[in-house]
Amino acid sequence: MLVIFGASGDLTRRKLFPALYALATRHMLPERFAVLGTARSPMSTDEFRKAMEEAVREHARVEFKQEVWDELVSATHYVPMEFEDDRAEDRVAEKLDELDKEHGTEGNRLYYLAVPPSAIATLVREIGERRATEGWARLIVEKPFGQDLASARRLNEEIRRHFDENEIFRIDHYLGKETVQNMLALRFANGIFEPLWSRQYVDHVQITVAESIGIEGRAAFYEQAGATRDVLQNHLLQLLALTAMEPPIDFDADAVRNEKSKVLRATEVDAVVRGQYGRGYVEGKDVPGYREEEGVDPESTTETFVAAKLRVDTWRWADTPFYIRTGKRLARRETTIAIQFKRVPQSLFTQSDGLRPNVLAIHVQPDEGVSLGIGAKVPGQGMTVRTVNMDFLYGGAFRTGLPEAYERLILDAMRGDPTLFTRADEIEEQWRIVDSIQARWSGQTPDFSNYEAGTWGPEAADELITREGRSWRRH
Amino acid sequence: MEAALSTAQQAEWTGRDVTIAEIERELAQLRSESMDLRTSMMTHLAWAPPEWQDASRETLAGLAELHPSRTILLFPQEGRRDALDADVAIECYSLPGLERHVCSEVIELRLHGSLANSPASVVLPLVLPDLPVFLRWRGHPAFGRPAFEQLVDVVDRLVVDSREWDDVPESYAELVPYFERVAISDIVWGRTLRWRRAIAGLWPGVRAATELHVRGPLPEAMLLRGWLASRLRREISLRHEAAEHVELLAIDGNEVVAREERTSASDLLSNELDRFSRDEVYERAMDAATA
Repeated sequence: MLVIFGASGDLTRRKLFPALYALATRHMLPERFAVLGTARSPMSTDEFRKAMEEAVREHARVEFKQEVWDELVSATHYVPMEFEDDRAEDRVAEKLDELDKEHGTEGNRLYYLAVPPSAIATLVREIGERRATEGWARLIVEKPFGQDLASARRLNEEIRRHFDENEIFRIDHYLGKETVQNMLALRFANGIFEPLWSRQYVDHVQITVAESIGIEGRAAFYEQAGATRDVLQNHLLQLLALTAMEPPIDFDADAVRNEKSKVLRATEVDAVVRGQYGRGYVEGKDVPGYREEEGVDPESTTETFVAAKLRVDTWRWADTPFYIRTGKRLARRETTIAIQFKRVPQSLFTQSDGLRPNVLAIHVQPDEGVSLGIGAKVPGQGMTVRTVNMDFLYGGAFRTGLPEAYERLILDAMRGDPTLFTRADEIEEQWRIVDSIQARWSGQTPDFSNYEAGTWGPEAADELITREGRSWRRH
Repeated sequence: MEAALSTAQQAEWTGRDVTIAEIERELAQLRSESMDLRTSMMTHLAWAPPEWQDASRETLAGLAELHPSRTILLFPQEGRRDALDADVAIECYSLPGLERHVCSEVIELRLHGSLANSPASVVLPLVLPDLPVFLRWRGHPAFGRPAFEQLVDVVDRLVVDSREWDDVPESYAELVPYFERVAISDIVWGRTLRWRRAIAGLWPGVRAATELHVRGPLPEAMLLRGWLASRLRREISLRHEAAEHVELLAIDGNEVVAREERTSASDLLSNELDRFSRDEVYERAMDAATA
């Protein structure tokens, strides 16, 4: 039984139900399966079903088939509930018992907490106190998981009062993306890359999570979070961990997460800059500055951009900088991990001003795939050498649509496989890094806005990297 | 070069009033249907006002073999409607004697209304990462106008053809200040190469040259005079007679014969796409031509 708390929200509509529908289309859902949605919104089961049908029709990546939907919708139910109302929680528990009998789900529960962070602790307590005695119980918790190290620790402690670590699935949907998982395949299924994957051959690493959109009506959340808590704390640091980790002894969840955790423990911030967008042009449209967005404080000092130089103090990566950046209203939407290799020790070719260092780029979105920039001779007389990009396009190589991250992650949670979920120690290390960034900014008043919408961030971000003789990748 | 390639297959998509995200999605879909490997050397932008659109497409047809790239054709449109229309295509060409294809991505964007004044923000999401960006500006550059100024700042090389201008040499003076912002090529400069080589072959007989006589287009005549003056560091007078191509070139009354063949429009552009850094000889010739 999948129990979605916050079922009337945007996440359920845009991601969770379309993912469930795609799984149903591929016959990946268990035979004995039901969904119970619950939220504050007063709604009947029929109204909820209708809303979810509209959501699936609008957002599912696969074609709508009535017979698939009919099967899924017959197992879909809804109960309205105030989260702090014990009696309402009792009603949900009774409904779950009733649905167990109807659908044969035997007390197995997957709780999906798609609720605001402030509601998580209360909900976990209420769920924990009503755990069924038979069957398994698992908990998927959406980000943000806490707002700093102290609150994340408190939340971990509260959850562990009721659930074991192997029952807790802290979701970072980036880990469900095929291309992120392909990073593991690229590194550990190919003999040619791993020997080069170290300080000896890598000059530096750049990880970019760029968005061209603004805050999309999420001012209340974003004003509190900013780019650092919204993206750097989770997506960026998880991508860094996957890039820098040692080979695990096997693909067991704990073996993988142990290695990621070691990387995060070894990660320190050398330098960091922040920014906030002003007015500008994005994709041909005149867009307002952050402080002009609805619901945003006109004097807001929330950062919509952050770039940092990190170091990973391990034998493999000592003195190899990791430059990371994320921001809103940047020139394009792009998530890429780029490994820039060292230059050849001596240039033999005089006509090589078009030659750049080798870069292996893992494109997470939008062009899922891997590209390698290599020097090649231009056909013809002479010896003109220039960089050519060879792109392996993930979507073109395999004749099947790439599953959405949530499809993979919901299915993994149903199976009890937490490999692609974040463990408590990882979360806490990520917050330690973020706290160290916030501490640098404490007491300073930034001079915002400092970058135009539609550009690649503030000048300070360029200075962060150019002062060391490097530059951000050309996008 | 055009004869070496023939279009083997083409996958297309057309959208009206679209977003960049839709273009990216459809491009990915077309790629997944037609190729799994892509080789790219650059992003090639072409800014083409309505009267230059057909010529732009024709010139591009011969570029795929030596310059596999993503091509983005920007067609500014008249009118008040703010919208972006797109034609996206994967064009694959068969290579003689080989079973494989060379595939190129071609994106035609029609910029309506205010989008024609903010083309950089439309182009930036679509350029290929880590590779140089070349801009072929068709017609007279819109010096000082938003579209031109924005695009100059996002490209590595600007390629113009001053034969397409109607106010040479006055406009040369407007182009010179841009040398400090972006590397610039003038295709006219490429057309003069066969004549410059012929003149250089006469060294040292041309050391004391004082007069250049050119029967041909004025831009070629101006750049040849500028080049000769900047190389010899002396004043060179120009006697010019208009003609469609350079038919006659003489120095101090002695005819110079160019033995090399004229180069096709595609090959001239192709040559410019092989250059990355500033062309100081050209820049000095321009300085002399505008002095």
